[in-house]
Amino acid sequence: MLKKTQEVSFISFKRDKHDKKLRKSVFLKLNKMAHLFLTSNWFFLYDVIFELFFAITALIVSVYSFKVYKLSNQNQPKLFGIAFLSFSISYFIQSILNYLIISEKAQIISNIGILNSLGLFSHIFFFIIGLTTLAYMVLKIRSKQTYILLLSSSLLSFLIIANKLYWFYAFSSLLLIFISIYYFLNFTKNKKPKSFIIFLAFLFLLFGHIHFIFSVNHLLYYIIGHFLELLAYILILINLTLVLKNGKKKK
Amino acid sequence: MVRKRNKLQIIYDILKVIKGKNGKIKPTHILYKSNLSYSMMEEYLGELISKKFIIEIKEKQSKTYSLTEKGIKYLDEYKFIIEFSDSFGLIEE
Repeated sequence: MLKKTQEVSFISFKRDKHDKKLRKSVFLKLNKMAHLFLTSNWFFLYDVIFELFFAITALIVSVYSFKVYKLSNQNQPKLFGIAFLSFSISYFIQSILNYLIISEKAQIISNIGILNSLGLFSHIFFFIIGLTTLAYMVLKIRSKQTYILLLSSSLLSFLIIANKLYWFYAFSSLLLIFISIYYFLNFTKNKKPKSFIIFLAFLFLLFGHIHFIFSVNHLLYYIIGHFLELLAYILILINLTLVLKNGKKKK
Repeated sequence: MVRKRNKLQIIYDILKVIKGKNGKIKPTHILYKSNLSYSMMEEYLGELISKKFIIEIKEKQSKTYSLTEKGIKYLDEYKFIIEFSDSFGLIEE
């Protein structure tokens, strides 16, 4: 929702600056924005729930990654944990701010556009940190300088690029292609069902982000993108459940 | 064909060898039991000491290695570590 209303909210607020009646109800404004930006009212709440689910799943994965790091002292689980913690923060921010926008609480916020943009930028910022960390992890390069270079160049291009939304979806898709290839190779090497599940999860994340590229102009792609992302996180959760079950069983 | 051991498995094998000898072992025994070259063993022992999985005890003319609490915990939780790392593609060669 943030993505679709980012520019609109600014425009509509400027246009309706003196429209006191409309300002009284944030929901009316959201309705108006929805029609203007092809977003759908019925999806607003699902959007918040979906993002909350993604955030919680990513947080659980990151907690277990850090646990594995603490036990094994290996670099890979640490990087994986950082990546999923960043995803979690990114989704939490988006979910909370989206909730504030659609709820009555948004009435106390004088400029909904600022809130909207803040949510969008924070989401992109943390998501890019997560994906860059994950890409660095799959490249298996042991150099802090390389990591800093990757991270700073990603964040710098995000800060200076004019069309941040298109850039974000295109750039994240590119990184997800790299990550998906890594997990595909991991599966061909392991030939284990769990490796296949995690490969599928990243493939769904990739397809989801590709759909988001088209979603800037079409609502349907935005919704499909969310459902693909939902599938990806369900698969990650299934994988984690299997890991915990097997990890306990074989002790 | 025997599959090449990954880093987590080699660490497990070394720690298991130490535990098998009542938690105290000479490097020659580790070399013999862990199936590693001398240089590889030295490298792994150095890493395990720096990560506080084992401690080196110097005695007169010889030295022995002992497990720490962290090392014991690694052995206890090994199945979970390997399951998680394997399925999420976190294993280093």
